[in-house]
Amino acid sequence: MTRAEREQGKVKKFHSYYDYSLLFLTIFLVCIGLVMIYSTSFYNASRNYGKPTFYLEKQAIFGALGIIIMLIVSKIDYHFYIKKLPILKMKPVTLLFIFCILLQTYVLIFGKEINGAKRWIDLGPLGSFQPSELSKIAIILFTAYIVNLAPRKLDKFGGFVRVVVFVAPLIVLVLIPNFSTALVMGCIMIAICFVASRKKLYFIVSGIIAIGLGAIAVFGVSYRSTRIDVWKNVETHEKGYQILQGLYAIASGGIFGRGLGESMQKLGFIPESHNDMIFAVICEELGLFGAVAIILIFVLVVWRLFVIAINAPDLYGGLIATGTLTHIAMQVLLNIAVVTNTIPSTGIPLPFISYGGSSLVVLLIEMGIVLSVSNQIKFER
Amino acid sequence: MARNKTFNRRNVLIIIIFVLIAATGLTVRLGYLMIVKSAEYAERAEDLHERERAIKAARGIIYDRNGIAIATNKPVSTISVIHSQIKEPEKVIQVLSDLLDLDEAKVRKRVEKVSSIERIKSNVDKEIADAIRDYDLDGVMVDEDYKRYYPFETLASKVIGFTGSDNQGIIGLEVAYEKYLKGIDGTILTLTTAYGVEIENAAEDRIEPKAGNDLYISLDVNIQKYAEQAALKVLEAKQANNVKLIVMSPKTGEIYAMVNVPEFNLNSPYTLTDNMLEGIDMTTLTSEKKNDLLNNMWRNASISDTYEPGSSFKIITATAALEEKVVSLNDHFHCPGYKIVEDRRIRCHKAGGHGSETFIEGIKNSCNPVFMELGARVGLTNMYKYFKKLGLFQKTGIDLPGEAKSIMHKPEKVGAVELATISFGQSFQITPLQLLVASSAVVNGGNLVTPHFGITAKSPDGSTVKNFEYPVQAGAVSKETSETMKNLLELVVSEGTGKRAYLPGFRIGGKTATSEKLPRSSNKYISSFIGFAPANDPQVMAVVLIDEPVGIYYGGTIAAPVVSEVFDNILPYLGIEESYTEAEIKEYSIGTVQMPDFIGKTVKEVKEILKEVDLGEVYYTGEGDIVSEQFPLPGEKIERNSDLILYLK
Repeated sequence: MTRAEREQGKVKKFHSYYDYSLLFLTIFLVCIGLVMIYSTSFYNASRNYGKPTFYLEKQAIFGALGIIIMLIVSKIDYHFYIKKLPILKMKPVTLLFIFCILLQTYVLIFGKEINGAKRWIDLGPLGSFQPSELSKIAIILFTAYIVNLAPRKLDKFGGFVRVVVFVAPLIVLVLIPNFSTALVMGCIMIAICFVASRKKLYFIVSGIIAIGLGAIAVFGVSYRSTRIDVWKNVETHEKGYQILQGLYAIASGGIFGRGLGESMQKLGFIPESHNDMIFAVICEELGLFGAVAIILIFVLVVWRLFVIAINAPDLYGGLIATGTLTHIAMQVLLNIAVVTNTIPSTGIPLPFISYGGSSLVVLLIEMGIVLSVSNQIKFER
Repeated sequence: MARNKTFNRRNVLIIIIFVLIAATGLTVRLGYLMIVKSAEYAERAEDLHERERAIKAARGIIYDRNGIAIATNKPVSTISVIHSQIKEPEKVIQVLSDLLDLDEAKVRKRVEKVSSIERIKSNVDKEIADAIRDYDLDGVMVDEDYKRYYPFETLASKVIGFTGSDNQGIIGLEVAYEKYLKGIDGTILTLTTAYGVEIENAAEDRIEPKAGNDLYISLDVNIQKYAEQAALKVLEAKQANNVKLIVMSPKTGEIYAMVNVPEFNLNSPYTLTDNMLEGIDMTTLTSEKKNDLLNNMWRNASISDTYEPGSSFKIITATAALEEKVVSLNDHFHCPGYKIVEDRRIRCHKAGGHGSETFIEGIKNSCNPVFMELGARVGLTNMYKYFKKLGLFQKTGIDLPGEAKSIMHKPEKVGAVELATISFGQSFQITPLQLLVASSAVVNGGNLVTPHFGITAKSPDGSTVKNFEYPVQAGAVSKETSETMKNLLELVVSEGTGKRAYLPGFRIGGKTATSEKLPRSSNKYISSFIGFAPANDPQVMAVVLIDEPVGIYYGGTIAAPVVSEVFDNILPYLGIEESYTEAEIKEYSIGTVQMPDFIGKTVKEVKEILKEVDLGEVYYTGEGDIVSEQFPLPGEKIERNSDLILYLK
């Protein structure tokens, strides 16, 4: 770069930055997701609904909708969420948090049961909505907001406890029906606090305590300890069927895979293969190369989030990016770990790829918020 | 607004390092699963996806000694429709109802039924199935199959046997040679979804079925037919329960025919024959009862049923006596019509007795006292020694399932009375086949053969898989005794009780028997005859048993002619030439004459000439007095007693 050009840059000092790489990576992932949903679901869709594109169409609508919302959200300054609204005299982030608590309470009482878990709100013809997805955004924005109020307090354990006291009600409400989502939310909260804190020791101490409590939670509830049995004896345990079928799918993919659309395991062997187990079918059809390529795209997304987090104009923006980063990374890692039977099974969808409208739209909104953070980055050259 | 400080950035870096480490770990885990475990899991997954469909192997064919197939396979097909694959339902309905000769409404119902697969018709003939296949209709499946088929239907049914639904032998030779006849089923491996639906266009793995080996047996379809005809004739004439007839080569033990009439139809073995249903109320027929009846119908009585052989057993007693040299041919006996044994008075079949007679006359007359005397002279130990040598204590070893054992007195329980009754064939039971085999040894020079059907098993390409061999025990009877017995038994037929088995031109030996069934008071009999020919060098031996004949029941009267009739047919067939003695030529006017010239002669002149020539019936045709044409033509050499046709004008 010549000096003249640098001078010119200085002139355009406040030129806005917008992370197009992240935008295109996100859209690319959504598209991969649509292709894989069609590939995994056409058999079950034509079998159950007589229409091979049944799931594809629904997901595509949500995808398109989500991308539009994402683009709109990305243009809203993220400071809007922590400014008091004129009439209500409340901040949008607080409103969202309270709204989520209400929704989670509602779902506990009136929720619609699917596969034995009360996690959905029936929206009639619009399908069903999983409020815990929305709660993830609330956790990210609300935790970042609380921490941002007094970041220095986080240097002491008491400050961390203060954040937990504020945030915990929502996490507990989610924890009751949905352990894995609560786990993700807890991690988002801790990650945000961690980033804001100068001291690390109490995180290690509290981490150990959390693992202890987690163990009690896991082994105390019978269906979760069964999952651990399944995990240990996946080949012999009667309830290991789904995971074992996933392992068969992954392993039979080999290095280069069977080819797109050629999966055998999706033909009813893996139940609901377009949901949480979609990565297994990706492995079967696209092989180790395809699987690693998908992981690399996620790593790139996480990397872009990292870049945004460290370049964010203020701590609040950095914390939002960190929360989103944690959210996506946790879900990808947990999903792949479950599918490969590295950890006991738990229902975590693969971000952007697994079938599920609320999950996709919420993730895209999150990306929109992060993009808006990126939009506030100014060139300082 | 708080600043984003350096330590905040470092903390984010720590998080991302954690993430990258975890991602690397999971990638390694994936690599392990997809490279190291790949083959093992992929194979297990394959097992889940593959469905095996058996392709039935063709069962080996059973050929008679002339190479005529008597148990074969008919290619049949099963026609089914797969609802989801049908594209032109109307055409399918029309084609199937036309070709399968089914009601259109019925086919329509099946075609329109929503099911994974619907069978339209099974056991469809190959030609029809091929025609359906040629239409190449979507959703119509033609599955090939084999069905056992017996071209001669009832012929030797109880010997050949039949097969079950899995093509496995149920009775008879089909069971005995299961190992050779059964092929190895092939498989079609297709990929299916978890719901068992086959995936179209998926590569099929196909393991071809291996057809079973063909079996060549000693049975001769023609001899069996002759024998069955003769047996059926006497069965009907005497309204008997059943008639058993076995024709065997006494030298090798090869069985040419084994008849158990009434036979049943091998192509529908589960249909009870009329005789089985006699006196049974169909409405009260339980399945258990039906099973019993079926088992009875399938029973090969020639080897599974024992009986008291009666007088034909005198062959064995005479042989033992000659072997032990306790009698010579001209020894004199006296028959007052009974013999007192201990405190018992055992009667001869001739009430007045045969009076004074030689041993030869005794055997010709089938005189009981003579044989009681012989038995006493031989003694129990020696009698049983010959029984043993002649295989009467053991099964014959025939290659058929279900052979019965003889029922004999234990030696320590045999007193003089029992010995006397044994001597003329009573108070113990053997199978007809055992008698045939023992008598064969007596007339074939003393070799105890193993009766059998199986000769060779050949693979479908014609190479020999196995030549079956059967043990022969030589020296059961000495050559001299064998020669003597052949002469004696020939005398029985030519001059004695078996004379109704006599066939001019052939030398036949044999022995009659009339066994009273137990209990004695029931007055039920088994008439039998055992015969062989030619008497000097037996090539063929036959035994016939008529069970419970109505009316005359003497073996010599009703059983001997059956064997004679069979021999009359089969001896020329077996290549045994007639050779007439001078007495026979005279008695039966055998020989040839030269046909005189009758043309131009008047009827009166013709009658003059006919007095000097042995001709049979003379037929005149046409009106007039003068012969214009004749058949046979003048000067031809013709058999004596041939018919003559004369045309008059």
